[in-house]
Formats: sequence, C-alpha cells, structure tokens
Amino acid sequence: MKLELTCDALELAHPLEGAGALSFGLPPGSAMVVLGRNGTGKSTLLRTLAGLDIPKEGAVTLGSTPVAKMPPRRRARHLAFVSSTPPRGAALTVQEVIELALEAGGRPTTMALVQAAMDQGGIASWADKPIDTLSDGMAQKVMLARAATQADSVVLLDEPTAFLDVVGRREVMAAVGAWRDEGKSVVLATHDLDAVEEAGWANRWMVMRPPAQGGTLIMESPFTSAAAKQLLTA
Amino acid sequence: MSARWSNPVLMVAMVLLFAAGLFSGPAHLAWSEEWGALSGEGSPTSVTIMWQLRLPRLMTAVLSGASLGLAGLLMQTYFRNPLAGPSVLGVTSGATLGVALVALGGATLGWIPHALNMAPQVMGALLGSGAVMVLLGLVMGQFRSRTALLIFGLMVGYLAGALVTVLQAGAEAGALQAFVHWGMGSFAQGGWAPCTIMAVALVAAVFWANRAASRLDMWTMGALTARTMGVDERSLSWGALGMAGVLAGLVTAWCGPIAFLGLATPHLVRAAGAPRRHAGLIWPVLLTGATLALFADGVVRWFGVPLNAVLSLVGAPVVLMLIIGKGRWSTSKAKGA
Repeated sequence: MKLELTCDALELAHPLEGAGALSFGLPPGSAMVVLGRNGTGKSTLLRTLAGLDIPKEGAVTLGSTPVAKMPPRRRARHLAFVSSTPPRGAALTVQEVIELALEAGGRPTTMALVQAAMDQGGIASWADKPIDTLSDGMAQKVMLARAATQADSVVLLDEPTAFLDVVGRREVMAAVGAWRDEGKSVVLATHDLDAVEEAGWANRWMVMRPPAQGGTLIMESPFTSAAAKQLLTA
Repeated sequence: MSARWSNPVLMVAMVLLFAAGLFSGPAHLAWSEEWGALSGEGSPTSVTIMWQLRLPRLMTAVLSGASLGLAGLLMQTYFRNPLAGPSVLGVTSGATLGVALVALGGATLGWIPHALNMAPQVMGALLGSGAVMVLLGLVMGQFRSRTALLIFGLMVGYLAGALVTVLQAGAEAGALQAFVHWGMGSFAQGGWAPCTIMAVALVAAVFWANRAASRLDMWTMGALTARTMGVDERSLSWGALGMAGVLAGLVTAWCGPIAFLGLATPHLVRAAGAPRRHAGLIWPVLLTGATLALFADGVVRWFGVPLNAVLSLVGAPVVLMLIIGKGRWSTSKAKGA
C-alpha cells in the first residue's frame, strides 16, 4: 500500500527560521522539485521529511503516523533517501547493496528479485563489483536503484546529480519519471535546472528563500528554468 | 580463500595448534600420561598440569583471540576506519591504569578480590576498564560525531598514560617489575572462572553481532543511508561499543594489553578474501583471532618471547604488507583503467 507524505504547517529548525510554514501533500505518483541557493535549507527539509531532523513547528506524517515517531524499520519500507555523495569505503558489491535494499524494504532476498531490481536500475552488469571500485556516477546509480528497491511510497533525493555527467543526469531524471509512473512520490532537491526542465515531468516545484527575499514559494505549474532562475535571484 | 572452505581450514588449524599446545610443555610428560590425565587418571601432578595449567591457558587464548577479533571488527565497522581496534575507546587504557594503581600505587581493594577469588591486578584492570565504559556511557549522548568518540578514547589514553608514568616514577623496583610483567601480556593468568566469564561475554557478543549483521552492512554505507534504511543509530551504537568494550576489557584484565590482535585480525580475514557482508565475516574473524592467539601462545612457550611482543612482531609487518600490497594493487588498477 502506498502512503501519502504530508507536511502540516512545517517550520524548519534551521537555517531558514521565519521563512514561513510549509504545508503540502505528496499523494502517490507525485513529484516535487526543491530549489534554493546554498544554505537555504534544502537538505534540512529533506532530512526533516525523512524523519531524521525534528522540525521547530508542525509535523510530517507518512500515512497517518508522524514520520519521526515511526519505528525506523517500518519507515524504511515506505521511505528512502539518496544523498549527494555515494558511499566511500563500503566494501559491499552492487548485488549485496540490492540484497540489503530488499531486506530494508521488508521483502525476501530471492535471486529473482535481486536480479529484477538490478535490471530495472541498469546496474546488473556490475553485480559483482564492490561499490568502492565504481566511479562516483556509477556508485550513485547503484544508490538510486537501492532507494527504488527499498521504498514503495516515497523517495527523497538530495542533489543526486552533483557528481554525474550529462548522460547520468538524464538517467536520474528519467528514473524519477519512471518511479512516479509506478505510483511512488519523489522529492528532488537540485541545482540542475536544465536537466529538470528537459525531463519535463516537474509540474510542482518549491523555491526556498530567506524571509528577506520573500520566503519560500510552492509553484504548481510546469517548470521552466527561466522562471526558476528569476525567483532564485530575485 | 573461498568462503566455502575457509572456515573448515581455520577450524582445522585451530584444532591442530590447540592439540600442539595441549601435548607439549616444559613438564615433558609422556603421551600416555597426558592422555590418561585428560580423562582424570594418572598422577595428581599430571592431572593438575593438564586440567589446571594447559587447558585453561589454551582456552584463554582461544577465547581472547576470538573476542579481540570480533571487538576489532565491530570497531572498524562502527568507526568506518581500518585503524580502529578494540583499544580505541580507551577501555584498555583504563585497565592499564587500574593495574598500575594496584601494582604501583598500592591501592588496596580490601576484601573484594579475595571474596571473588581474583588477583588484585585483575580486579584493578576490570574496575579500570569498567570505569571508562561507565564514563563513555555517561558522555556518549553529548558527542556530535564519531570522531569525538575517537578523540575521547585517545584522551583517556593520554590521561591514563600520564597517571601511570607518575605512579611509575614513585614506585619501588619490585612493584615496577610486576607492572611491566603484566604489560607483556600472557594467556597463563586465566583459569576456568575467567574462561567462563569470557565465554559468556563472547557468546552474547556473537549472538548480537549475528542479529545485527545486516544493520552493520548498511552502516558501512554511511550513517545517513543506514538510518534511512531502518538502522536505529542509538541501538547500533550502544550494541557495537558496549560489546567491543566489554570484550576488550575482559581480555585485557586477564591477559594484559594485547588488543593489537583485534586490530590485525579483521585485516587478515579481509585480505584472505572473506565475504564482505558481516553475516559471513563473523566466523572467519572469530576463528582467525583464536588461531592467531594459539600460534602466538605457542611462540611464547617455545621461544620465551613475551606475548605482546610476539603479537606486534608478527602482526605489524603483516598488516603493513597488506596495506602496501593493497596500495600497489589499487594504483596499478587505476592506471590500467
């Protein structure tokens, strides 16, 4: 069963105090792009949505449970997170990462499911390679497949394309579109305006700004990089 | 080394070394006497040698080696740092200070060691490592990062070292000798009671590590990723640090500061091609630790070199070779790519 992620009058503890309360819902199959200059709280927002940071005010709920109070294992079945930097020094192979993702998602780790998840993520040819021998871009692709395998409701992505080349960026954006079609909801924090515009699926986007610049906006219209740039530099 | 046959090979090596230790020694008993003594027959002297000296000593070696190996693995995983070992938490430093207070400072623990039938030094070591564990538990919530924890261990080490130096400066020659002797390490100070205590702690730690194996795997991908994969950071931290601290503290109390074995063992196991996931790593680490401890004990008995020296003389070059070899390997691979 897919769960809806809801933010009710959310005020982040840091760093954008007084930027206004955020209220929005992410029904299954929705995607939201989060934009903002450095230090405006994109990562804090994502960590708060993941239940890792406690907000100053308001609540984040997944289904009907506050996300921060969910038992970690139950939360992991519904919600996954990908950070901007792929893991360093982890000796696990690509296949082992996917096995762990299935385990975290509460599913059996049968060879068929592992293979299907690797095929879907386009990483099956590296199955036996330790992830610390892969390039950053390849490792990030593994982490995206890991997140998609793990969670069936929400995937949070914190600047996932930071280390990727043009093709890698396109692949990430295409993956987000595919997850959305599967009924997952996605929140993507990024500086990569062109790639988002090119992907074409973003019709909901948030611009995080300090109070002096007008506060945070949530736009419900097709994303264009020109409009986003204007709001970011205003 | 393939995962399928590494455990049996290690098991055979361990049994052979155990047998070699059991049927050799300065007493030069005849085979028949040794066999008879094992089943409780023969002269009281030979029964005592087999049951009160050789067997407890070998069991102490097996349990200490396995405990330190597991503690080292837990610390290297928890800190995601290949340099971590059982001593990083400062537990062994606390034990050393405890022993110094008893041996050099003339601290009397009153009736306690006598009532528990323990050597005062062992009691001092247990209290010292226990005190560091309690302190760690009290301040752990205040640490913002795992690096702070490493610094805590390092500083406890410096403080304990400084106090030990002060105690050494004012100590009598006899007391100093006893302290230095403890610092050399030995598996001969154990007995059946310490073996039982160490075995209980080791079984609990193995049970915990097996249950936590997948969470430890996830932890290697970073705290943030692990937490969003369902790992409860608090319970994993308490589990890993608590188990490693208790194992290191117990081994140090009875065998002296020999925690280097715990740093080296996981490196050897990984270099030999053991599985990457913890579920497959735990047994090779336990068996390798135990085998190395038995081997080192053999060298101690045959050549009369102190245990601590054997472990470092054999272990340090091996770890160095592995690191240098690994570096060369990754460089050539990078060039080839």
